[in-house]
Amino acid sequence: MTVLLDKARQRQTRVTGVILISIALLLALFLAPDATGNATFRLSRPNDTWPVPNLVVPGGAFIYVVSAFTAFLGVRLFLRGGAKWAPLILGVGLAVAVAAFLVWATAGKSFSLTGMLQASLVRAVPIALGGLAGVLSERVAVVNIGIEGMLLAGAFTGALVGSLAGGLAGLAAAVAVGGVFGFALAALVVTYRMDQIIAGVFINLFVLGVTSYVSSQVFQEYRALNNAPVFRAIEIPILSDLPVIGPVFFNQNIFVYGAFILAALATYYLFHTRYGLRARAVGEHPRAADTLGINVYRTRYVNVTIAGMVAGFGGAWFTLGSVGRFDEGMTGGRGFIGLAAMIFGRWHPVGALLAALVFGFADSLQQKLALLGTPIPSEFLAMAPYIATIVVVAGVVGRARAPAADGKPYVKE
Amino acid sequence: MSPICWKSLLGVTLIALAPCAATTATAFTACQVTDTGGIDDNSFNQTAWKGVLDAQEALGIEGRFLESQAETDYDANINSLIGGQCDIIFTIGFLLGDATEKAARANPDQPFSIVDFAYDPAIPNVLGQVYATDEAAFLAGYLAAGMTETKILGTFGGINIPPVTIFMDGFVRGVDHWNAEKGDSVVVLGWDVETREGLFTNNFDNLDDGRAFAQNLYDEGADIVLPVAGPVGLGSATLADELGTDKLKIIGVDADLYFTDTERQHVYLTSITKRMDSTVAQVIEATMNGDFAGGLLVGTLENGGVDIAPFHDMDASVPDDLKAELEALRAGIIDGSIPVDG
Repeated sequence: MTVLLDKARQRQTRVTGVILISIALLLALFLAPDATGNATFRLSRPNDTWPVPNLVVPGGAFIYVVSAFTAFLGVRLFLRGGAKWAPLILGVGLAVAVAAFLVWATAGKSFSLTGMLQASLVRAVPIALGGLAGVLSERVAVVNIGIEGMLLAGAFTGALVGSLAGGLAGLAAAVAVGGVFGFALAALVVTYRMDQIIAGVFINLFVLGVTSYVSSQVFQEYRALNNAPVFRAIEIPILSDLPVIGPVFFNQNIFVYGAFILAALATYYLFHTRYGLRARAVGEHPRAADTLGINVYRTRYVNVTIAGMVAGFGGAWFTLGSVGRFDEGMTGGRGFIGLAAMIFGRWHPVGALLAALVFGFADSLQQKLALLGTPIPSEFLAMAPYIATIVVVAGVVGRARAPAADGKPYVKE
Repeated sequence: MSPICWKSLLGVTLIALAPCAATTATAFTACQVTDTGGIDDNSFNQTAWKGVLDAQEALGIEGRFLESQAETDYDANINSLIGGQCDIIFTIGFLLGDATEKAARANPDQPFSIVDFAYDPAIPNVLGQVYATDEAAFLAGYLAAGMTETKILGTFGGINIPPVTIFMDGFVRGVDHWNAEKGDSVVVLGWDVETREGLFTNNFDNLDDGRAFAQNLYDEGADIVLPVAGPVGLGSATLADELGTDKLKIIGVDADLYFTDTERQHVYLTSITKRMDSTVAQVIEATMNGDFAGGLLVGTLENGGVDIAPFHDMDASVPDDLKAELEALRAGIIDGSIPVDG
């Protein structure tokens, strides 16, 4: 058995090596000769406190170096095996290949690297918060397909209450409404043992229907109801003046900070507190948890409601954190991408956050590539975030395991 | 998901969720199937619907609409309007081209009119309404080139389809015309007329894309941005509002966004208007008089089908010389002495 496993692993490692070698060849044969001139990455903006010079990379030379490095990694994997490090090496190889690709696209031109990184974080926020909501509910074995609907409900409530009573009230209301939908999902699947997928889809359709109706009938007539204030970026003193890191991490609005803080809090809660341990026990083996005196139903109710509140907060980003107004279906499937982020973040809050960042990075990267005028059609560029997500899930993360009782209702005997 | 439908926009009707029972008092009913942007997109679908509303007021017709929530709704929405209840069916948008053709061929007695689509060869019961938007966009490009301080302009589109890119073509060529006239070197980011590639959100729904894409262009130095993505452009306006109009101005499309996006009207330098309301109302009137004929109706600068909106709040900051040049340019485009198609 172990011999078989080892063989399969070795084969996988070899395949990974071959992939890296092919990437190296592609870089050396096609991209490097084509990259003439320097690629200039602007790091500072005109009015930064401590300006740093632009990062200038000689196009062809850089790509040859990356190609050689990737080839070295690939050959090493192919000959020496080392299955344990294969995913990490593949990750490093892909990362430098992406850098080489970017240098090729930028050769002879320039763009704002800081702007791109800042946008990566902004684009990652709703996905990270959606993914976090997924982690919180799936850790207690409730599959939450309704995240998309909860995001939309948060966006809608944020716009409506925010217009009437100000941004903070809107935010609080969005979180509360998210919680209500979380509680409703818990009631449907825990108390009434409805199929979890159907309950989630029901929430999505219900929220889409109600918000679209109100938006086209009421907001259309009473425009003042759909004109919410937007939370501006908050500069953290001193830190925000740092070059590159400052604008990227320390000059963002409360939703970006909130996503990081919530991911940290959720990690602490799930893995370092008694309640988190109980929640995870309920997700893995509810009967065992029950016999130890844990109230399975209550644990599920509480966690799924909190998940709804997190999703409500994430939804408020669309209106209060970005554009200040609600529009039908404006979440555009980000809740579902959040679920994907949860899976390839291995049902871990920090994992989901990192996954969302990969998506956000790929998304803002494709925008820059479209501006740089690469010969790649824009439709293919638009696929980049999704392809990056799939590659990272399949290649780098490997097999992820869901909580054992995920999706199953629990019947107390 | 089900399409919302109401019988009349006259008065504040919240009760009209009930299935639209047509009153029999009026003889003529005009129906509209929207694209996914929705009837209240402050832009494309709303402008076309305004044509129906105008006709309702002027001619006393009945108007109703069905919203498409997804591309899969097109066929179903059109088919649910067939069966004699509509004297004419307007389908709004290029993306409804296939669905409209299918329905029109199956129901040769039902008059259709589609916005932004021209059939070749023409279908006898479909009147296509197309717009020479590049004529107006050419003016907007020239204006923007004259107004920019960074010498960098930006544009992005919803989807890479002709009714979207025609705006971007005209805009870029207008800037080129400025450069040729003035010996200047203003660049446009986001659209390459030659390769037909550029910056696209690939949707018409996600308003936050509008903000992110405008931020991206602003980071690259653009101080005037033209979003051609229906409601998505409203997200760009939020960013311009936040940054201040001295740093970023927006050019609206389809309708005069100064009037439809009243909360942020001060960020719009101008709008490239596509007067679908005017052509839709014209088609309704012609159909009522029994003059409906399939074929093509082209809106131009000359017949008022396309235009650029007044500068409103920014009127004082546009130099008089530039205004005069724009007038001369308009006359030149209309008499054909200045070609807008490169």
